[in-house]
Amino acid sequence: MDFGSFLAAPEIKVKVVTYRDIFQDKAMIENLFGDEYKHISAVITLDSADLKQLNVKKGDTVILKNSFGRVVVRAEESGYEPSHRGIAYMPKSSWSNMLVSDETCGKGIPRFQDISLTVTSAKGEKVTELEF
Amino acid sequence: MENNYHVCTGCSLLCDDIEVEYGTETINKIYTACRVGVAHMKESKEKVTFLVDNKPVDEEKALSETVKILKNAKNPLIFGLGASTNEAQKQAIELGKKINATIDDSSSFCFGSVVEALVTNKIKTCTLEDVRNKGDVIIFWGSNPADSHPRHLSKHSYFPRGSEKQRGWEEERTAIAIDIRKSHTAKICGNYFIQIPQGGDVELIDALISGLSGKLPKTSYNYPPKKILELANILKGAKFGIIFVGPGLIYSLENLAPLFRLMQALNEKSNFHLVPMVGNCNMRGFNENLFTETGYVNSVKFENGIVKHGSEYSIVESLKAKTVDAALIIGSDPFSSLPRSIAKSLLEIPIISMGPSETLTTKKAKVHINTAISGVESGGSAIRMDGTLVSFKPIVETKNPLEEYILKRIMEAL
Repeated sequence: MDFGSFLAAPEIKVKVVTYRDIFQDKAMIENLFGDEYKHISAVITLDSADLKQLNVKKGDTVILKNSFGRVVVRAEESGYEPSHRGIAYMPKSSWSNMLVSDETCGKGIPRFQDISLTVTSAKGEKVTELEF
Repeated sequence: MENNYHVCTGCSLLCDDIEVEYGTETINKIYTACRVGVAHMKESKEKVTFLVDNKPVDEEKALSETVKILKNAKNPLIFGLGASTNEAQKQAIELGKKINATIDDSSSFCFGSVVEALVTNKIKTCTLEDVRNKGDVIIFWGSNPADSHPRHLSKHSYFPRGSEKQRGWEEERTAIAIDIRKSHTAKICGNYFIQIPQGGDVELIDALISGLSGKLPKTSYNYPPKKILELANILKGAKFGIIFVGPGLIYSLENLAPLFRLMQALNEKSNFHLVPMVGNCNMRGFNENLFTETGYVNSVKFENGIVKHGSEYSIVESLKAKTVDAALIIGSDPFSSLPRSIAKSLLEIPIISMGPSETLTTKKAKVHINTAISGVESGGSAIRMDGTLVSFKPIVETKNPLEEYILKRIMEAL
């Protein structure tokens, strides 16, 4: 058990893997600013043990934070995926892109698959709006 | 009402067997297309929109503002074009030459290097028809067509009967998924799912190469050598193998050397091809059109007849170094697709956006022109993910201008 577990609001560190989702792509085409797109995109899927450690139920909002940004998204529990403690899954979207490093080593390729962040309960705070 | 086969431009599969029931300006029913394709084809909107500072203007005002921005810019950026027809892409490249622009598309941060290797014949490739008719070992490496290209598995790569594969997936095809997450495609692959840790691709490539030579394969993450040897044996026995490369693999590689190594080792033992799982319907077209014109697939800077190329001319590095002073963004939404830490530089320069839908980029644009949807409201041609040229006619009429028309008018006004 890491130090974060003993904080008043438990905090865990995770690495995020982003992915494509057919329902998200369809919702994006229909209305990027619609509720359906936001519902499918502003979400992080965590291992059930990580959810338990955070004292968060599925559907609750959580704060994702690193040195590049802070967003509030909905937490979901893994379904068919094998156990993946410390690894979280997010659909690739504006919400995940708020947490991607600007470091590219001059190659023009952002580190979309190298996102490390902390997760804490958002205690009811609303999902971050899609705006710039 | 008419019935006819049409091409779906919803992704780079460019499915050409879509049946549509339609009126003059509206699509009523769509058959055969996937969920994404249906949404794309029904995206068609009747309203014609020209905006300056988010206020409606007429076409002339929008064009004069566009020309003013481009004339004032010393190094304008032209970006996007992944959903444009070949004809519009060629027009945009001509415009780039005329205004000494930096020109790039999203391939610079995804598939560009792979497409470059394909168009310069450094990697063996094949068509999707070849895959359907002959493919027996199909690898999805860092790709997930069940979500990204929904008809890929059913129309081309796994489920269909082919001329030399009459017994289909049940007996004659083996599908293998290699990924860091158990995707929906990985679920379909069943026991042939190889789950590796983030960044573990190169090690697996080298372990597979060892396995192909009969050596003991090793990885630092202790993937069972027996399983790698079993996989190597399947690959050795392939009569017509294909690797469908996805962004998961591309982002894991520092360069393409491991992929070249793997393809060489595979083709010493069997017969393997590679096809990139390009996302946008005509990203490959942009790469090939720019390559024909300049010898490079992306990240180009025109300067008084000279062509410069390098990652410093990619959208990401141009924005980070703040070297571009205006942006013409065509059918793309970099405010959504790029990391916010990089896209925020776009807020410091005037943006002209062209495209059929409202996005974060259109909201931040000084000028926005609502253009026709390629393949739905405008005809033309595009290049499929495997390099096949596909032509299409518009399905419905629109009052929205074509990208090609707007680009021509900008050229004339300049």
